[in-house]
Amino acid sequence: MNSIPTYAEFGIQSNFSFLRGASKPEDLVLAAKLMDYTAIGLADRNSVAGVVRAWKQAEESEIAYHPGCRLVFADDTPDILAYPQDRQGWAHLCRMLTQANMREEAQKGAPVLYRQDLFEWGENISLAILPPLDQPAQDVLALLRQIKKPFDKATWVAVAPEYRGDDRWRLAQAAAIADAARLPLMATNDILYHTKDRRALQDVLTAIRLKTTVAKAGLELEINAERHMKLPEEMLRLFRDYPYALAETQRFAETLSFSLRELEHNYPDEVSESGLSAQDELERLTWEGARIRFPGGVAPEHEALIRKELGLVERKNYARYFLTVHDIMRFARTKDILCQGRGSAANSLVCYCLGITDVGPDIMDHLLERFISEERDEPPDIDVDFEHERRKEVIAYIYQKYSEKHTALAASVVSYRGRSAMREVAKAMGLSEDVMKALSGSIWGWSSAEVGEQETNAAGLKQSDPSTHHMVTRANEIMGFPRHLSQHVGGFVITKDRLDEIVPIVKTAMDERKMIEWDKDDLDNVGLLKVDVLALGMLSCLRRCFDLLEAHYGEHDAYDRPYTLATLPEEEKPVYDMISRADTIGVFQVESRAQMSMLPRLQPKKFYDLVIEVAIVRPGPIQGDMVHPYLRRREGKEAVKYHSEVMRSILKRTLGVPLFQEQAMKIAIEAGGFKPYEADQLRRAMATFKRTGVVKDYRDKMVRGMVNKGYPEEFAKRCFKQIEGFGEYGFPESHAASFALLVYASAWFKAYYPDIFCTALLNSQPMGFYAPAQLVRDAQEHGVEVLEPDVNLSVWDSVLEASPFNPARVAQQHCEMRFTIRSSHAVRLGFRQVKGLSEQDMEQLVANRRDGYTSIRDLWLRSGLPKSILIRLAEADAFRSMGLDRRAALWAVQALDEASASERLPLLDKPEIGLFAVEPEVQLPVMRPSEHVVNDYRSLTLSLKAHPVSFLRDQLKRSDVVANGSLKDLRNGQRISVAGLVLIRQRPGTSKGIIFMTLEDETGIANIVVWKQVFQRFRPEVLGSRFVRITGRLQVASGVTHVIAERIENLSGWLNLLTREGGTSFGEHKSETKKRKDDHHGLIQPAATSALTNVSSVMPKGRNFH
Amino acid sequence: MNEAAEALGLRKGLGIADARAMHPDLEILEADPVADGRMLCRLADWCDHFTPLVALDGADGLMLDISGCAHLFGGEDSLLREVMRRLGMQGFDARASLASTPGMAWAAARFGDRPSVNVVPGEEEDALSPMPLAALRIEPEIQRKLESVGLRRIGALLGAPRGPLARRFGGLLITRLDQALGILEEVISPRLPVPPLSVERRLGEPISLLQDIEQMLLLLARTLKQDLERRGEGVRQLTLSLFRVDGAVTRITVSTSQALREPQAIASLFREKFTVLENSLDPGHGFELVRLAAISTAPFLDRQEGLTDDRSSAEEEQFSLMVDRLRARLGDHAVLAPAPAQSHVPERQAEFITFSDWMAQASSSGVQKLAADSRGTASASALKQDAVPFATPARPLRLLVKPELIEAAAEVPEGPPFSFRWRKAIYRVARAEGPERIAPEWWLETKASLARDYFRVEDTEGRRFWVFREGIYDGKSMPRWFLHGLFP
Repeated sequence: MNSIPTYAEFGIQSNFSFLRGASKPEDLVLAAKLMDYTAIGLADRNSVAGVVRAWKQAEESEIAYHPGCRLVFADDTPDILAYPQDRQGWAHLCRMLTQANMREEAQKGAPVLYRQDLFEWGENISLAILPPLDQPAQDVLALLRQIKKPFDKATWVAVAPEYRGDDRWRLAQAAAIADAARLPLMATNDILYHTKDRRALQDVLTAIRLKTTVAKAGLELEINAERHMKLPEEMLRLFRDYPYALAETQRFAETLSFSLRELEHNYPDEVSESGLSAQDELERLTWEGARIRFPGGVAPEHEALIRKELGLVERKNYARYFLTVHDIMRFARTKDILCQGRGSAANSLVCYCLGITDVGPDIMDHLLERFISEERDEPPDIDVDFEHERRKEVIAYIYQKYSEKHTALAASVVSYRGRSAMREVAKAMGLSEDVMKALSGSIWGWSSAEVGEQETNAAGLKQSDPSTHHMVTRANEIMGFPRHLSQHVGGFVITKDRLDEIVPIVKTAMDERKMIEWDKDDLDNVGLLKVDVLALGMLSCLRRCFDLLEAHYGEHDAYDRPYTLATLPEEEKPVYDMISRADTIGVFQVESRAQMSMLPRLQPKKFYDLVIEVAIVRPGPIQGDMVHPYLRRREGKEAVKYHSEVMRSILKRTLGVPLFQEQAMKIAIEAGGFKPYEADQLRRAMATFKRTGVVKDYRDKMVRGMVNKGYPEEFAKRCFKQIEGFGEYGFPESHAASFALLVYASAWFKAYYPDIFCTALLNSQPMGFYAPAQLVRDAQEHGVEVLEPDVNLSVWDSVLEASPFNPARVAQQHCEMRFTIRSSHAVRLGFRQVKGLSEQDMEQLVANRRDGYTSIRDLWLRSGLPKSILIRLAEADAFRSMGLDRRAALWAVQALDEASASERLPLLDKPEIGLFAVEPEVQLPVMRPSEHVVNDYRSLTLSLKAHPVSFLRDQLKRSDVVANGSLKDLRNGQRISVAGLVLIRQRPGTSKGIIFMTLEDETGIANIVVWKQVFQRFRPEVLGSRFVRITGRLQVASGVTHVIAERIENLSGWLNLLTREGGTSFGEHKSETKKRKDDHHGLIQPAATSALTNVSSVMPKGRNFH
Repeated sequence: MNEAAEALGLRKGLGIADARAMHPDLEILEADPVADGRMLCRLADWCDHFTPLVALDGADGLMLDISGCAHLFGGEDSLLREVMRRLGMQGFDARASLASTPGMAWAAARFGDRPSVNVVPGEEEDALSPMPLAALRIEPEIQRKLESVGLRRIGALLGAPRGPLARRFGGLLITRLDQALGILEEVISPRLPVPPLSVERRLGEPISLLQDIEQMLLLLARTLKQDLERRGEGVRQLTLSLFRVDGAVTRITVSTSQALREPQAIASLFREKFTVLENSLDPGHGFELVRLAAISTAPFLDRQEGLTDDRSSAEEEQFSLMVDRLRARLGDHAVLAPAPAQSHVPERQAEFITFSDWMAQASSSGVQKLAADSRGTASASALKQDAVPFATPARPLRLLVKPELIEAAAEVPEGPPFSFRWRKAIYRVARAEGPERIAPEWWLETKASLARDYFRVEDTEGRRFWVFREGIYDGKSMPRWFLHGLFP
């Protein structure tokens, strides 16, 4: 036995056999290569979810690879390793699994497979049966014969040593049974992990699967660590009495010729009206589109570019892809659904002509990487955003057009990340609830970063403690493991062949939606067509903006066409001026606090600046520490220099600082010496490979490569760091460009027509960063009159009512806008703003309104709406046009007697002779303004009457609280107190634990910075307050004012003063509290306040963002 | 929520996640309304002291009809004081009120300005006026409606015309008002006694001697037996309540492992308890009421005795009675039984559990097996796991207390020994089976230990041993060999 035996392993389960396999497919392939296996297969339990990953790794490692599946049956059929022999076999396997997945009794993620399925779909598949040796041999034999009968030469018997003391007997038994059945015996080690040190993790997985602890899982755990990959010599030793069993693995491999490559480019055939070929049809549509896009004629350089792109599409055979995307968008347009494509392929001139994108060539000229890169051989990638309320129509169209046989959603692999990994492992290790809580409390957010000393210390655990140590080690091992498959938000795969012959289809939580077992990256790798059909709230908003503009203002472009995204007047200075002042509440993408503090420094002057703005405030550039260098260079504080000519060409438009994913990739290729496909791998690896050491290899490779070419090491490291950041939050220039267009469009509307903008935003809620209260307030500050909802004046949506614009109403801080704004309408709030009303009911109300309702009884009788709806309307104070305030209206509505049907008889349909006339009068207390405001908030989430804090101003003044509006007049560094409703708390992952809070009072906004230490001291106040007072130092820098918090007090209780009987005097409140305390000897006063009088619960809770 | 949580500013209705975000070290306990209810019932029992008419009032209140009882305690005020004092001694933070109508008392107890209030007849309106609407026992929905039109205190309703109120807020509102004011009569429905299987004897002449008590017990047990026979049941748990003349109650509970109804057997169980309690059982001036109640019962399998000589079942009964007596005297943890444990490691494959757990396991083992089945997926591999008894090779019934080090010569790298020396004697191995590799339970260990390879070996003279090697010959280390057990 001197020569190394040849061996191939087929009994392999990866971590895509959920909670069983303890190694990633990639690791298994790498290990097989290291052990010199001649081939490797992957056979996860009734799933092929991991085969593409393994395939990619095998291609790179250059080892023969066969995708397969371990068939696990719901009846008494033993497990079978199934490997398709050819494309047909693969189709059969997929059909078989789909059938098992779709079974009625199949729960999500747990297919139900019967032996019958195997007989139905087992052709062209090589089968290795793992016989149950603990059952009577005669039964096993009968079973083998039954399976052998139809599949004969494609059948093997496989056996693995188990180290349970009886292996000699087991192998002999298996060999004997195989002989008796006249089937070849094949060796396997029934792999669960690539190295034996994964046993502990595998035990943890078992415990998680059985929802118990490792200590209690007992005999359910594997008895030993033998199910790892073993050297061929070792396998030969184990099978020394049956060496032919090793040779059989080779014979088994030889029957398999299928490769996943055969699935490539299975694009659907688009039926063209003209009967042309796909390429010809694409060219026809492109030139047709060009004529519309360039009414003045196509410029020669554009024409040349179009020809070049079309040539590339033809060479790569992508025409059908573009036609499919074009068709989906064409459908959306016929339904008047606003949509926009983005992605590297989308920003081509061809796509511009096809209407896939509205980013025109004058913008695109600036783009670095415009189209499909030929050498990288990546499939085209186009995401399409649709109006969020209407995306389902598009999805329905896709289903209807391609039918369930050819389309389904891509999967998205939900994997263990920081908190979930920690929690599940801690549970499996039997750690106490308290410890688990403490631990997961110490991990904020979504991080997939390693759990280390810091987190465990924070939870009061010591790494030196063995159970802590075990737990942390396992949690770090499990990180990145797939947990289950879930449906992708909108990634549709569409194929020409039957989809269920390409990849198994799985049920999802939603009955009508089906998904496949592969995720986006898998689809990319296999080369299947996928289109992301995404929902974007801003598109719904812009659709409404355009409609309102056309209906109320009729402003048109130079060719007298209504404006569209593509034809809005470009590069208008007032729009950029507004953005530069950070007057961007509601504007797409740049409305967040971080964005707003960047804008005054960036001072965007042209479209490309918006592209940068969209991309710059993201984890990638921030982690890569690229933001400040860029800002310094832009502000002229630092000279722009390039390390080489190559760098100049890559980084010219971003002043020598890499900000976009494309740039980082290009640097890796041009300077770091990566091959294009390697760069791509690197980017994808970032998200998943974090802890395997692979990252370090990549880093060393890139830094070395760049240093060798003469770049400073520091620069090289930063470039790499940025790629790391992109891995998780990839933001390419091509997407930024499409988004920037929406930034510009929404800013355009905000600048010129704040009335339209506010109305459209309100009607598109929920979306964006701000609640309706802030949107309305912002509109008011821009001089727009906003009117209350009213039963006689409102409809479901908010609408515009003619009302002359008065520049004097524009708030001081926006005075520059006084002569920019072209509005001539007021916003009438719609019923949609009122809590608890349905669109259908309100349509009924409007339809029966005729010349208006004269009284509550009139409305009740004519609209036919139930009393409960009228109460909602009364609570919204929507009867003012009848001269009734909220309280009077409620009193009247409550008197309507639904039980007595006679009230509704037409004869008595005379409101004036209602029973009210004879009813004794009840003196109701008058509702004070502050109470009205509270009730406005309760019903509308905003109030047009006053700001709640304004009623507390006297008390606030007495306790030295400064109004937010006056902050800008105060000295930098001064120590002050501010107070307000908490609108937003934000803790960006990149901010080292700093929390940003936004407070609102009647005079404006205060931006608060809470440092980590302060947060730890005042954690309950920060997270639990609705109304808060913050004392700290004022910091003014680059036109942005912050208060650095030192002391935080929860004043939410003050809000209850707003509805107290007898005024809001603070003194009275205080003395009474004291008195009560004394009387009760410290007893807790049972809650006498009902929900109605507990005001703080009415006020916004504050939205939390990461 | 306790006072500390309230002091932190936490409120009912707050999400746990939010609360925990604010206070990461928050301790969260599931509300246990059932336990709360039990507690309230116990309190209600205790209130028997004051009046026989005790009613449960919602989830957190008790209503006592003290008509004609107050004088026994020196008048209303002193009765109220006494109730509060004794509740306070028991550690309850209670609020109480005494009034001439249930509605008024309800309101004053919950919304009065002091923890204990006696509302004198005629002062109802004054007492009610400043109280919030919730004091009227009306639905939150109606309360909300009233508040929404600015009517927040009962006082605001008292003066208002009734018609418009009834029209808008329903008749119940008026009813509640009238009930509180005493315009409308309201009766308290006392808590229904739980129908327990219980027998009692009131004694004109209090008893205090242990032997009298035992006598009484036997008497009661006989009566109980008849009741049990009628129901075809036996008892699993019994409580003997001894009511002292001065109102103190002593309760003694015993439990049995089999359904029981034999008076002698019952008495003998209590005798064990009495022996333990002897010193602490203080009869004072004697017990005036003795009650024997079956807390839990189970079907009793009638057996015909004497016809067949079914000794084993009789023995079993004897045995369980003995165990019951041991437990009654020494506590549940005094009697242990070995049971298989879920571990691959031989020395951890058995453990001792309390007899009652053992009984429970024995009676439900069939059920347990089913449960284990449903846990795994319905797949072939689950079936295989069920077949473990077959797959586990025979092991010695008893193991050596500690594995004993042996010297062995063996096949490299992981074969069985050819021969070994144990306790100075040398054994030549004729046959061997293995290895069965058992990996250590890593989660219990501080530093990694080695897997064991177990072999069943037979020497040339037919003696059979269970030996293992710690680790394998990997060229670096020299594994040690141990003997862990002998086969018969």
